[in-house]
Amino acid sequence: MAFAESQNPLRVHRIPQSRYIDAVRWLSPVSPSDRFAAIAYFDADTNSPSIEIAYVDPNPQSSSPTLTPQSSWTSPSRISSLKTAHSTPQPLLAAATFSGSLHILASDLINGGVMESEATVSELGFHSGPVSAVDLREGGTECVSVGEDGRVNLVCFVGDSSKLSYRRIFDANGLVGYTAVKWASPSEFATGGYGFGIQWWDQRTSGGPVLQFKGNWCQGKTSGIVHSIDIHPSRKHTCLAGGSSGTVFAWDRRAAQQPIVLSGAGTGEAPNSLLSESEVWEVQYDRYTRRSNISNISSTRILPVMICSEDGILAVIEQGEEPLELLAEPCAINSFDIDQQNPSNVICSLEWESLAILTRS
Amino acid sequence: MNPSSTFANPLENPNAFRLHSLIYWQKEMPGVSSDSARGALVPLSPESPAAAVYPLRHGLKSPISRLSISWSRGNSLRVSVFAAPSSDGSVNDGDGGKVVEVKLGGGDGEISEAHWRRMAYGSVSPFALLQSRKNAVSSLSKMSMNSSPYDGDWWDYIMEYSKDINALLVNKKTASVPVLDDPKSVITKGEEPTSLKAAWELLEMFYAEKPSHSWLPERLVDWLADYDSLFSGTHPTVHSKLVDFQKELVNLQVVEDDPKYWEVMSSALAVGWLNIVVKMLRLHGSYRLDQLSNRETENGLVEAVAVLISKMPRMRLEHEAGKLGECYKAKPDFVKAWEKWRGQINKLDSSAFWFQCAHQQTREGLRSMLQIMLGNANSLCSATYNWIELYISHFLYMRPLTVGLESMYSLAQKSIQLKPMASAHRLMGLIIGILGENTEVVLAECLKGFGPWMVAHAIELLTAGSDHAEMLLHEERQNLGGISIEELHRLVYAQVLSSFPLTWQIAPIYLISCMKHGMVLLQILLSKQPVQDNQLLLKSIEICRLYELHSVTSNIMKIAGVHHWKHGRKGSGFFWLQQARDEYRLNRIALQLFDSVGKTISDESFKQWEGLIQLLGSDSKTAGGLEFLHKYRDFKKSLRQIHDGKATDSARQAVESLISLMKSPSMPQRFWLPLLYDSLKLLNWKERPLLNVSQTNLLLNKLQELSMARLRPDFIESELPPRALNSVRLALGTNLGRAILEE
Repeated sequence: MAFAESQNPLRVHRIPQSRYIDAVRWLSPVSPSDRFAAIAYFDADTNSPSIEIAYVDPNPQSSSPTLTPQSSWTSPSRISSLKTAHSTPQPLLAAATFSGSLHILASDLINGGVMESEATVSELGFHSGPVSAVDLREGGTECVSVGEDGRVNLVCFVGDSSKLSYRRIFDANGLVGYTAVKWASPSEFATGGYGFGIQWWDQRTSGGPVLQFKGNWCQGKTSGIVHSIDIHPSRKHTCLAGGSSGTVFAWDRRAAQQPIVLSGAGTGEAPNSLLSESEVWEVQYDRYTRRSNISNISSTRILPVMICSEDGILAVIEQGEEPLELLAEPCAINSFDIDQQNPSNVICSLEWESLAILTRS
Repeated sequence: MNPSSTFANPLENPNAFRLHSLIYWQKEMPGVSSDSARGALVPLSPESPAAAVYPLRHGLKSPISRLSISWSRGNSLRVSVFAAPSSDGSVNDGDGGKVVEVKLGGGDGEISEAHWRRMAYGSVSPFALLQSRKNAVSSLSKMSMNSSPYDGDWWDYIMEYSKDINALLVNKKTASVPVLDDPKSVITKGEEPTSLKAAWELLEMFYAEKPSHSWLPERLVDWLADYDSLFSGTHPTVHSKLVDFQKELVNLQVVEDDPKYWEVMSSALAVGWLNIVVKMLRLHGSYRLDQLSNRETENGLVEAVAVLISKMPRMRLEHEAGKLGECYKAKPDFVKAWEKWRGQINKLDSSAFWFQCAHQQTREGLRSMLQIMLGNANSLCSATYNWIELYISHFLYMRPLTVGLESMYSLAQKSIQLKPMASAHRLMGLIIGILGENTEVVLAECLKGFGPWMVAHAIELLTAGSDHAEMLLHEERQNLGGISIEELHRLVYAQVLSSFPLTWQIAPIYLISCMKHGMVLLQILLSKQPVQDNQLLLKSIEICRLYELHSVTSNIMKIAGVHHWKHGRKGSGFFWLQQARDEYRLNRIALQLFDSVGKTISDESFKQWEGLIQLLGSDSKTAGGLEFLHKYRDFKKSLRQIHDGKATDSARQAVESLISLMKSPSMPQRFWLPLLYDSLKLLNWKERPLLNVSQTNLLLNKLQELSMARLRPDFIESELPPRALNSVRLALGTNLGRAILEE
């Protein structure tokens, strides 16, 4: 296993928060030097969940970054999923809760990061039980939400009505539960769930997924749950997924039912060369690369992937190469986000009530 | 752990209602007196603290009829308040009851809960590292019999552990350091000191630093310089006098006329804060340029004292940069310098210059400072405010060569006699315990003053170098249920961690270091975790995986499976039961699934089933008794297509599915009849018989088997019309006849 320190300089700063962090996301900055992050907190002392916008000062006098809270929004329940859309100067946030509601928030970064709740869906029947995942369409006005109740909902928020309307795309009546979702194109998205299954949906086609990937390649071994999906805008035919037992795999829709396993179950590797054996909580394509151009990478090759895991690993995996470990923490890394504008910056939330900010150079 | 009491409360006015039951419960606290009689090792002070009153905001309008109290997470009590039903039987808003949580004051005011959790998180890695090193050292020493287990790197490990823990105790709120040095600021404010850090540093210097006890007195001098302010709350201290004087200093024109100036300087000198004393001496009016010529002798005397102070010989390794005093590592060098220095003081004391000094306060003040430096017992006693300060001044000026805990202890006893205290500060108790070499007292003081975190981590230091302490703390005791004191305190700490939702995950680290009861308690802890949320559930399962607790894993998976199933999330429920390989429950839910598949037979619902059936897979082991659902779904699909009119081909497919279903050993017997009843249309196919002779015989045999089984008492009758069996038998008979004819 390769360690990052020896190859390229990496600066890591851990900032204790004194509150549990349910999710963390970068917000697209107004100017290149600004950096803002949205953080979903849970204060265990007062039992109160909230989302805060914080200004991340990368280099104050002392060389460690500081977080300056700008504004805060109190959530009715803990945040189960948080996504951002990169529209300036008012980036949008979609926050789903454990009580089954969805909130669209807008933050005005020019005027001190004031955060306002644009709209809310909280009626009964939207989801029964928690919303397990949500995704905002990039620059768009639509949001898709899924839950273990088997419901797939599409929420549109055009106009400024504070009550959102939603459309039920599918209801599996609990026979299937969904745990992850990601837009692929304005009309298509992918969901993930139990048994490493991935479903491909097209909102123009009603009555269920248009394509299904059966995650039963690891027959006989223990199966798992997909926790996170990512789709690269230039490689829409490939779904990247991360889940239980350190599993990271890609499903090329053109190649039917055979997964490309990047790490974990089914790779047939010796167990000691495994990156992680526990839950992979989040996966994202890592746009920070030293190669001149990603278009040079053959289209059958999977682009570099960053993962974080329950056993405290933050690493970059490239197909056919030794994984590059960025962090090995004594506690779980529950979520992370790569800055879209400046992919050398990574922010991640640690189980022990702290944030870590990484700068690769 | 769950003292809950239910009793009626006669209070009429609900708004004035307060939690009197708490006081009642405190008095009832179990085991306080009875345990100590049996020689309990956890001392609880008999003088109970003033009863705390927690107002309840339950908002009920009607009078309260009943209360029930139980522990909630962490330091919270869950109080269920039941209102009395209204007398006229009408139902009003605010009737019924309410459940409120009462957070009990978290004992230590100086450390917030968030800071406490940060300490708990931070101490996991140093603790785990030390445990693994200990295990390595002890297995190594078993292999080579002759070497002592504790040498070589051992002290480095202990010191590293202690430093790591110590670093966690720093309060993050550091005061900003002024850029410009204010000549009139005599004390600088650094980080806010805490008693906990002070206590840890005491333990570190006495137990963790490689025993070189000759440096201990000087280490204590430094310690008091850092932490004297902690005593200010309960005792008069040099530090508080200095702070008071600092406030007045700004308004003083001629400092040397103020008797307090001399008083405070003598006190600071007595406890060895040399830099402060020299800085204050230089505030003396005779240094002013306009007065220098008039007060030349006076200024010479002040400066002479200042120089003597800054040249004080100290028996220590080294000083922080900028600190006054001269260090000597070797005893003979020190003794020589010490004698020379005292000679200089005596010489100055008896010099004739004093008669030329016109300023009375200066003359007296300086000479009393000389007395302190000469170790005059009365001067030291009057310059210090509590026994620790007196104790330190004795080290500095009377017995700088004190070596060994025994003589340090007797000196402490003497200081306490000279300056008795009304109430003991928790740090004072700890010092006495350490000096008295009484491990039990040290532990008890740690627990009483600083709580379970402190004890669990301090034991590592206590046992580090002392065979006696190690024996005492590792010995298995009958009165503790066969566990050692060390294990007891680790278990107590783990129990505290377990009760908070954010820290329970680190309790396993401490539990597995407990040989006797740790593993069992870990299993209980994991089994008690909530299963509703997948993320938390997976975190529990991960801990099970780390400690190879496979049976606990499958148990919590089963609980999660049933929970999801009951809440309508059939897919999730099925997944977890499948992961747990719980065939019994999978068979039970098969019945429900079978019914649902049978009833909801439409194209749309097939889409819903698709996902679940995919999850089933085809491996009989992972699917429990459910792999037949796969074929059953196909069978139903073909049957449906017959209805749609795609006749014979679909019918043939349906027959194939039917036969393979009936042949399948996993197909439960109770489904045979409904399946055959469903296929009546196939059996009575008009155009030609669809089943050949052997197929029909197979089905007839199954039907016979079924009739026999019906006689058994445990047979489950299916919900079919009573003539179902007969009509199936008739249809099969007819089909057999037609098939024979055809062949």
